[in-house]
Amino acid sequence: MSNVRGCNLPDDLYYLVEKHVWAKPLEGGVYRVGITAVAAKLSGGKLAALTVKTKNIGQEVKQAKSLATLESSKFVGPVPAPLSGVVLRANEKLAADPNLAISDPYGEGWVAEMQPTDWENEVGNLAFGAEGIAAYQAKLEAENITCS
Amino acid sequence: MADDKVMIIMTSGPDTPRRCATPFFFASLAAAMEYEVTMFFTIDGTLLLKKGMAETIFPKEGGKPVSAFIQDALDAGVEFLACTASTELHDMQPSDLLEGVKMVGGASMWQIAEDCKTVLTF
Repeated sequence: MSNVRGCNLPDDLYYLVEKHVWAKPLEGGVYRVGITAVAAKLSGGKLAALTVKTKNIGQEVKQAKSLATLESSKFVGPVPAPLSGVVLRANEKLAADPNLAISDPYGEGWVAEMQPTDWENEVGNLAFGAEGIAAYQAKLEAENITCS
Repeated sequence: MADDKVMIIMTSGPDTPRRCATPFFFASLAAAMEYEVTMFFTIDGTLLLKKGMAETIFPKEGGKPVSAFIQDALDAGVEFLACTASTELHDMQPSDLLEGVKMVGGASMWQIAEDCKTVLTF
């Protein structure tokens, strides 16, 4: 886990830095996806809802397109998909407690699981490892974002 | 695709501040869900599009002005249409309206409504 400008950023995730979302490989080629600590901070810190569009389950969502929506008193906007893929399931715990995505964005607060449809071509768009964390850090510095 | 179009008809205006945030919030949300969103302003809703007006209206004391909700919706890609007849009702000129707002007649509202899966009225 790296701490960049007060934001926790695990080293073992693939990040779509522009959209503040992550993807993590599970078994069987499935990827778990979610929002980063940075997105959690930008959303204002307390969520009213984080909803995966029901229509998306079983369907393909393209990289950077809206996978879910996030609502807080300060912000409303999409949770973009970090990769193109078929949405296998949503994290049902978020319906009861959307703030899991804030308090534990890389654990209990994951958003959905996806089966990638274009991973080979898209992995190049994702930041990973020490180099990826450095790229994310550069963005946070450029936009003067901190999580503390 | 017609399935992806929704419309919000906004009739509430400066006299009812508490009715002036949620319609924009819902519009931004629909845009975040990748619907193509149109807001059609008529009756008193059109007054919210008058330059300088929405900055002075606060749905909640100490909260964000309506102008901030409007900006969020515009940033999310929501299209704003003002009913021509309602601008006449309020003696507004096209130049009084916020940048980017189009004026259309009532018949346009009917045509858009027919293309939309869902139409909400506030």
